[in-house]
Amino acid sequence: MRYEVTLPELGDDSVDRATVTLWLADEGDIVSENDDLVEMTTDKAAFSVPSPKAGTLVEKLVDEDDEVSVGDVLCILEI
Amino acid sequence: MAGQFPEWIRRTWGSGSDFGVTRGILDGLQLHTVCQSARCPNIGECWRRRTATIMVLGNVCTRKCAFCGVRSAQSGQTLRAPDPEEPGRVAEAVRRLELRHAVVTSVTRDDLADGGSGHFAATVETIRAVNPGCTVEVLTPDFQGSRAAVETVMAAGPDVFGHNIETVERLYPVLRSPAHDYGRSLAVLKSAAAMAAASGGRTAVKSALMVGHGETPDEVRATLAGLLEAGCVAVCIGQYLRPGKAEREVAEFVTPEQFAAYERMAYAMGFAFAVAGPFVRSSYRAEELVNALKARH
Repeated sequence: MRYEVTLPELGDDSVDRATVTLWLADEGDIVSENDDLVEMTTDKAAFSVPSPKAGTLVEKLVDEDDEVSVGDVLCILEI
Repeated sequence: MAGQFPEWIRRTWGSGSDFGVTRGILDGLQLHTVCQSARCPNIGECWRRRTATIMVLGNVCTRKCAFCGVRSAQSGQTLRAPDPEEPGRVAEAVRRLELRHAVVTSVTRDDLADGGSGHFAATVETIRAVNPGCTVEVLTPDFQGSRAAVETVMAAGPDVFGHNIETVERLYPVLRSPAHDYGRSLAVLKSAAAMAAASGGRTAVKSALMVGHGETPDEVRATLAGLLEAGCVAVCIGQYLRPGKAEREVAEFVTPEQFAAYERMAYAMGFAFAVAGPFVRSSYRAEELVNALKARH
């Protein structure tokens, strides 16, 4: 089953966008829940985005240096 | 963007079911948090651990400091009067989150006659009434230096009275709104400490400052000395991180080694509790302070 990993929304007033800095997993990699998938930066800090599920990373949908908003799909996992 | 931050300025983006539970409870009770309003980078860690710092009296501040991401009032804007139901909702959030230590802060409300001190007191009392055994920490504005306002809060007997000095004296003019005054903030802490001592020392007085604005270690030492003299027993020191493009840029990323040196310095100077580190915030892991102070008695 394909599962879309999105950049989680943090709520009102919170950070709502970030820049993709570094993928920490490659297409084809098997990841566990909470493994870091990708690193983002905001004005404030660098953040790693943990995998919400265990599965295989089948497709990255954003590239390094892309600006993304909360809710955007970052990658697809096969779970 | 890559390489903009040193490797120690790295957090986890908030996600997962526990994060969602915390968010659901706070949103459901229509509460604001400084975690969100200040765009705190610790939100992922704290909310997954089901801790949050609730911000009462709205999410619009009557002052604007150059480092702070909290919204400020437009000129002529009338802010809402304190919601008398809010203390009850805060207490309910504390219950649902199962907090053993609740930290409550607020925006600065220079438009209110009591600065919001009565609302703080009501919140402390209501949290206690609904959550017996829960310790309560307040992190207050300076109440324009009003001793009566400090007295109102202290009369509710918070376990910790916090007021942040935020930065060294030299940087007040560039970092803080004109309404802030270094000496006045020290006086607020001094009043609270004197009242705590007079009532048997139940309340610990705490402050915090940011580093990374270009201050020197000597200036940090002088600030800590001022806090100690005012009667603070606990201090937190953390890295300033820019909330957004509208706020002041970081002048320097202080190394973890320098933070460790600051922490040792604070203990050597006489603080009963000190914590310094890149992601230390005044309310970050605040429960450890209360436990450490209790262990001394």
